[in-house]
Amino acid sequence: MKACMGKILRVDLEKRSFEEEIIPEETWLGYLGGVGLAASLLYDAIPAGADPLGPDNVLCFSSGLLTGTGAVMAGRWMVACKSPLTGGWGDANCGGNLSPAIKQCGWDAILFRGIASEPLVFIADAKGPGLEAAGELWGMDAIATEEAILSRHAGGKLPAVAAIGPAAERLSLISGISNDLGRYAARSGVGAVMGSKRLKALVLKGNRPIPCADPAAVKALSKAYSDKVRRQNLPGLMKGRFLPVLGKIMGGKQVLPLDGIMSAGIMKRWGTIYNNLAGAVNGDSPMRNWGGSVAEFGARHYGKLDPDRIVKRETRKYHCYSCVIGCGGVVDVSDIMPGISHSHKPEYETACTFGALCMNDDLETIYRCNEICNRSGLDTISAGGTMAFAIECFENGILTKADTGGLELRWGDGKAMVALLELMAARKGLGDLLADGVKKAAERIGRGSERYAMHAGGQEPGMHDARLDPMMGVSFSADPTPGRHTISASVYYNVSHVWEGVPWAPKSTKIYPKGEEYEATEREADKSVAGTCLKQVLDAAGGCLFAVATGTQHWRIFDYLDAATGVKRSREDYMDAARRIQTLRQLFNVKQGLSPRDSIMPQRMAGEPPLETGPLAGIRVPIKAMVSNYWRRFGWDPETGVPLPETLAAYGLPPRPAFQAAKLEVE
Amino acid sequence: MASKKVPSFEYALCMACGSCLPACPFGCLSLSKQGLDRYRTAFPRLDRPESCTGCALCAKACPVDCIGLVAASDLVERKKENS
Repeated sequence: MKACMGKILRVDLEKRSFEEEIIPEETWLGYLGGVGLAASLLYDAIPAGADPLGPDNVLCFSSGLLTGTGAVMAGRWMVACKSPLTGGWGDANCGGNLSPAIKQCGWDAILFRGIASEPLVFIADAKGPGLEAAGELWGMDAIATEEAILSRHAGGKLPAVAAIGPAAERLSLISGISNDLGRYAARSGVGAVMGSKRLKALVLKGNRPIPCADPAAVKALSKAYSDKVRRQNLPGLMKGRFLPVLGKIMGGKQVLPLDGIMSAGIMKRWGTIYNNLAGAVNGDSPMRNWGGSVAEFGARHYGKLDPDRIVKRETRKYHCYSCVIGCGGVVDVSDIMPGISHSHKPEYETACTFGALCMNDDLETIYRCNEICNRSGLDTISAGGTMAFAIECFENGILTKADTGGLELRWGDGKAMVALLELMAARKGLGDLLADGVKKAAERIGRGSERYAMHAGGQEPGMHDARLDPMMGVSFSADPTPGRHTISASVYYNVSHVWEGVPWAPKSTKIYPKGEEYEATEREADKSVAGTCLKQVLDAAGGCLFAVATGTQHWRIFDYLDAATGVKRSREDYMDAARRIQTLRQLFNVKQGLSPRDSIMPQRMAGEPPLETGPLAGIRVPIKAMVSNYWRRFGWDPETGVPLPETLAAYGLPPRPAFQAAKLEVE
Repeated sequence: MASKKVPSFEYALCMACGSCLPACPFGCLSLSKQGLDRYRTAFPRLDRPESCTGCALCAKACPVDCIGLVAASDLVERKKENS
């Protein structure tokens, strides 16, 4: 099969040894690549009960099947391991420039096991793989590390670099891995795993050609899509301050069928921060640690987060490898933080977690928090979620000034937020207690703080409210990497057109009442399953969620895969591969002794008790019934979430582990 | 002696996706803010022509076929005309 390199590299950091392995054809057909390849490799490689920060955990960097084939929007890489944050399957996904570099070195994935005796840097170039002492790089922030490495290669082809910052070196369980000067594979605590292995960076500088079965067909698809994106431009009169109107339409009582390609124009103009205002008015943006609403954080506050104000600081747009939209940006924040030469524009997730979630309307605080996280290596979503937890604990007297070292942690106090985040990045004082996320923090603090710890299975959820989009809540609660906002949601599903060629995926082509989304029906479960499967195909291909958000009728992922691999398959075949991947990820959690029911998001996030004000007032989400339906439609036990023996047999997966998962009680 | 070939970019077609950058074995290309569109997009350009061998791997990698190979002497002429 084309499109893949056909080989992986296994690195033992303890023995400093390398071993190439050819991956058989049936693995590519069954698991595609990317996250699927990682799942197929790690299920066996990581033993049950392995310490996530110990030598038996395996950290796998994998490229996407479509990366480097001429497909656009297909430059994302995946890092997977056993998560120290959740204790189960962990993965994180990032754009930047690393994905083609993995393949250009001759592999589809690089796996690291063991713990190095001293901090190391992994280097791969035309001479092959090698390990070097990290030396003075250990202790440097993630961006400075990459700049130092790039400066050593000036005058020739620059390598792609993935690096960790000091937070990951200090094993913060909410740390990620940086690439391209501050783009992050942030979730699941993957940075801590890399830090535990004393692996400071990957430096990849290969030149191998990436095979493609039918380059002309792939280019034809890319040109057609690029033409459509090129034509999507918003009129100059469309200002950021009008975005609340869009938000109200998106959160209306009737769900309208929209052509997703329109989102390309919005992303080109602002990137994800368009949702700073749109999400504030329709309830998508969680406020006051998921307990507040726009009634408290009104236009006077959220209006200050107008994306036009942020875009004004852009010195240039930022495109990940092969991206034709360019939602990112490099911003000039030197007036706020003198000496900072390169800073990525804050994403919506960052702006919300350090904004509305903490009731903060000060953009300067958001820039500072963004920079602290990007340099130290903290995941902005988890760091902001943990900060909101700490503030709520302080406001309710569970934490006092004696605990905080004199800091007054109040909603919206930007100075206190920055000070606390610096403590978290340095693991000092209260920051040490908070640097492992809300679940661990609540366990350490006790005194009833658990009720303010908003996490799913240990991971702080993305900044999208399930009371507006219950499918998002199902993803938060039922995905093997819980708390993730990029898996499946009605806002993605309704524009995806995944149902074209997949008969079991419910069509969403007509106006329907929003209320339908709050019912635990078979249709809603099938939408969640189909959306999840599409995401698995996407993560196997190395594709971008924002490409799928323009619709698969435009960004033709299945046709791309056929043309690039040279194996023509039905869409149902691809969705079957996705079911296999998802089921194996779930099985990994069971093997590691996790009960899937324990990942269900907190009652507050499901509307128990319901909000009293704002657009989501009075809304309850029957999350347990929805999760149970989702499990059943995946062929998993609806009471425990454990894949059924017949499902495992149908997908050629290993037998059920002996662990008995706890049952879910659905009211 | 015929002038060596080097890449020339058709910026009206270029999507600034950067696929050409890692395709170059010698790191001859870089992103440069050309001011050619409303989004402050950084487009690729031939930054180190002296290292370019005219291998055309960048053109092959371009998903929208916006890179052509032209004689280096022509490129110099075009730059003069544009300046």
